Amino acid sequence: MLANYINKGIFMETNLILEGFKFMGLGMGTVFAFLIVLILMMNIMSKILNKFFPEVQPSISAPKANAQKDNKKVVAAITAAIKHHIEG
Amino acid sequence: MKLLVLKFLALFMLLSATNVFANASAHNLEELSMHKEETYQSKPFSEMITGFLASTGISAFINPNPDELSSDGKAMSDFHKSWGRVIMILITFLLFYLAIKKGFEPLLLLPIAFGGLLANIPVAGIAGEHGFLGVIYNMGLSNEMFPIIIFMGVGAMTDFGPLLSNPKTALLGGAAQFGIFGTLVGAVALSQAGFVDFTLQQASAISIIGGADGPTSIFIASKLAPELLGAIAVASYSYMAMVPIIQPPIMKALTTEAERKIRMTTLRHVSRLEKLIFPILVLVLAILVLPESTPLIGAFMFGNFLKESGVVERLNDTLQNSLINIVTIFLGLGVGSKLAADQFLVPETMFIMALGIIAFSVGTAAGVIMAKIMNMFPGHKINPLIGSAGVSAVPMAARVSNKVGMEYDKTNMLLMHAMGPNVAGVIGSAVAAGVLISLFQ
Repeated sequence: MLANYINKGIFMETNLILEGFKFMGLGMGTVFAFLIVLILMMNIMSKILNKFFPEVQPSISAPKANAQKDNKKVVAAITAAIKHHIEG
Repeated sequence: MKLLVLKFLALFMLLSATNVFANASAHNLEELSMHKEETYQSKPFSEMITGFLASTGISAFINPNPDELSSDGKAMSDFHKSWGRVIMILITFLLFYLAIKKGFEPLLLLPIAFGGLLANIPVAGIAGEHGFLGVIYNMGLSNEMFPIIIFMGVGAMTDFGPLLSNPKTALLGGAAQFGIFGTLVGAVALSQAGFVDFTLQQASAISIIGGADGPTSIFIASKLAPELLGAIAVASYSYMAMVPIIQPPIMKALTTEAERKIRMTTLRHVSRLEKLIFPILVLVLAILVLPESTPLIGAFMFGNFLKESGVVERLNDTLQNSLINIVTIFLGLGVGSKLAADQFLVPETMFIMALGIIAFSVGTAAGVIMAKIMNMFPGHKINPLIGSAGVSAVPMAARVSNKVGMEYDKTNMLLMHAMGPNVAGVIGSAVAAGVLISLFQ
């Protein structure tokens, strides 16, 4: 009877830690499975999108034009300043 | 004569009747005045002073009221009513110092600490059911509302661009969740060894600290182990604040100098359409794999979708600023209400603090080791320093990776590379949280 009880106790004890490891296996498995599928989907998505909906890149050409405009403005301002300096 | 007697009798009866009436009304009046006297009765001045002194905080600290119940209606020990409260108030002062002077997550730590200060006031019962902290707690914490709203705001602040341009770094965010489950085993083992008595639910709620994600910790704790909420939230936020102290030694111990100097290829440009579809993609995946995680992931992706849609700038702005700020105040005060001495000054708190730091360290180490494992395979090399950013703690952990990287090579900018695992860590810990919830359904 006593031995039985002790056995049961030990069994219960190992059981709880085992339970923790089971949680770990299931949890890490799910997290990794989720992320791996997500990575695959991300790769597929970017391929499809770049093939069928290639982004027209106004965002890159626009700032360049702006920058050039700004440059022109700066040049104009400097010229004006120099002119003013020389004249004055 | 007979008539006179009759008249007299009648008069007498009338009089006695009115007298009875008058008596009755007088009795009523007396009762009323007695009622009044119960709330206020004229007393000698000396008695007033002693009565007032008995109601002061000083006397409540020194001679605790034996009938006073804790905020959840349980009896409290005298220690928790007297010295426990003093200790807790001193602890909140320490938290003020850490938040203001050391800059440890002041946005949350200050409301939490002040809430803790208010919750430990005797007599007033601010954290009780009808006190304002109790009302705040029941309004949004016991039903997990506030962490969800915070998640919407965090979603609106998150840019998935770095992750989309280098998807495989998401694995680092997954490996860091090892901290959660490693700690779960640790907590179970501790209670097995007889040091402390944690149920499996409580162990799970504690281990989520390793996810390094405040709202997720609070969400899980209020679902699985509300009695531990205060300690878990404080551990979670204070360790998040200490990321710059905890992580670098672990990162340096696990990497060689050559590895720390690895340069990563520049990130490709991510189109707007990709960023717009990504939140929906994650949500659909969560729906299919783990519906239990959709409250967190759904709220997160909602915020991100509003941001990336680009057509609801006003809503996006509200989520990122006013809404998250308002809810942060309430969340902090609500968590603070759980810093009452009777709930915080228990042996469990010490173990939660210890397990929390183990969870953080294991998560950091797992991320770094995962990066090293990934470098064994062909392909672009990954700097293992960004692995530590896989514990969420956005964007603190990514900044730490960047800072440690720059210590060894001033021109090696790792910040954007580290943001990939960092945001993947948020998704990863939400998934882990979903698994834990689903296991207890």
